[in-house]
Amino acid sequence: MSYDDVEIEDMEWNDELQSYTYPCPCGDLFQITKDDLRLGEEIARCPSCSLYITVVYNLEDFAANKTNSNFQPPKQQPISVA
Amino acid sequence: MEERERVLKNQKKTEQEEHEQEKDIEPKQQELWSWGAGTEGQLGTGNLKDELTPQLLINLSNSLSSFAPISVLSCGGAHVIALTSGGKVLSWGRGSSGQLGHDQIMPNCSFPKLVASLSSFNISHVSAGWNHSGFVSDSGCLFTCGDGSFGQLGHGDFKSYSSPIEVSFFNSKHVEQVACGMRHSLVLSKGNSGDKVMYGFGSGKRGQLGISEDKIKLVSVPVVCSGFENAEVVDILANGDQSAALSADGRLYTWGRGFSSSSSNVCIPQSIPSAFSFEQAALGWNHALVLTSEGEVFMLGGSHHGVLSEPQKMTRHNNSSDEPSLSKVCGLVGKKVVHIAAGAEHSAIVTENGQVYTWGWGEHGQLGLDSTSDHTAPQLVLPEDRSLISRVYCGSGFTFALKTHT
Repeated sequence: MSYDDVEIEDMEWNDELQSYTYPCPCGDLFQITKDDLRLGEEIARCPSCSLYITVVYNLEDFAANKTNSNFQPPKQQPISVA
Repeated sequence: MEERERVLKNQKKTEQEEHEQEKDIEPKQQELWSWGAGTEGQLGTGNLKDELTPQLLINLSNSLSSFAPISVLSCGGAHVIALTSGGKVLSWGRGSSGQLGHDQIMPNCSFPKLVASLSSFNISHVSAGWNHSGFVSDSGCLFTCGDGSFGQLGHGDFKSYSSPIEVSFFNSKHVEQVACGMRHSLVLSKGNSGDKVMYGFGSGKRGQLGISEDKIKLVSVPVVCSGFENAEVVDILANGDQSAALSADGRLYTWGRGFSSSSSNVCIPQSIPSAFSFEQAALGWNHALVLTSEGEVFMLGGSHHGVLSEPQKMTRHNNSSDEPSLSKVCGLVGKKVVHIAAGAEHSAIVTENGQVYTWGWGEHGQLGLDSTSDHTAPQLVLPEDRSLISRVYCGSGFTFALKTHT
């Protein structure tokens, strides 16, 4: 059973993982790639545990060749070193 | 790898030298135990692996003895902040967003390291969130660092910082407490006339800021919380998308994602109706614990607490009521509980005899029972110990027990 339903706009794009991510209660991150989303996959899994979430999104936003999707999930911010 | 270890060792040595001077504070004998998820170094064992049974951190205690005893811990998503009785701060665990406050970014740190930039302050309160951290000085200043993508650092921007930066909004105010959740923060400050004011900042999508009945996506500067006009708040809590406050007269207020079966957001702090007076509260991602003045523990929400791996056992509340249900935690008959803690999906308590019990989700060993099983009822993890005062602290998927000689 899915741990939670999470809207794609609440997920963060992670450049390093090349995935959309959302915090998992184990401390790691639920992850799903753009390719997965294009294929209509809606389950984002955590690599460290058995839990998974259901990603709520519009398939059209990820249709192939579409560059300007109309949503902008928050991106990881560069870290300022004081 | 060897090079890295050598560098780390040297860093450690320098820190120990730096803190020889703190030795004038009489070190108390302490035991620090940790178990559960450990792949980010959050257990402080020096390893990056999960531990299914409590680990006594001897090396950690030794390195800490030069810093004076730990007075309190705060555990976040995968990092830990320790406050010493001398007002110094140590941190370890995941550091990829700058949440350790060690100035340079390290993916993780598996041993306690001094937050050097706070050394000139006497820190009195700390909080570890998912990937950010808050520190309060006895002079009433608030410092934050780590992930700021949602405005949860309160600096008016959405940047992340790797060293603690003073939150200028509170320059002329006296901050007493900070509570860091997944993507939001709460602050309790004291006004000139002694009145307490609470603020929220960061993500407000689930109502967790408590600042408005309208839908607030995010704010990057502190905004006053509503609903406390007639209550004196003594304690604030944040975890996941949940927020809570305890009032001087023992009432629990909650807001955010909420605990009711309908899972509708609560945007304005609501008092939980109860005949009991609560002395402590602890917040998970989907449950809360409260401790009554008689030493009894109640749980709020938590319909899947202890059955995450076996969802078929999940209790469905069929009532359509939006009232979150407060239920007594079974299996503690005759035990007087003195301290409570909540991880994302697990719970820990200490009895007056120093016994430590855990229950909830156990997949990473966060229950410390030498298994990865879930438990719906409290299980004994550390035996009776009357010579030490025990406290428990839970991070998302891990647990610490701090034992201090009386």
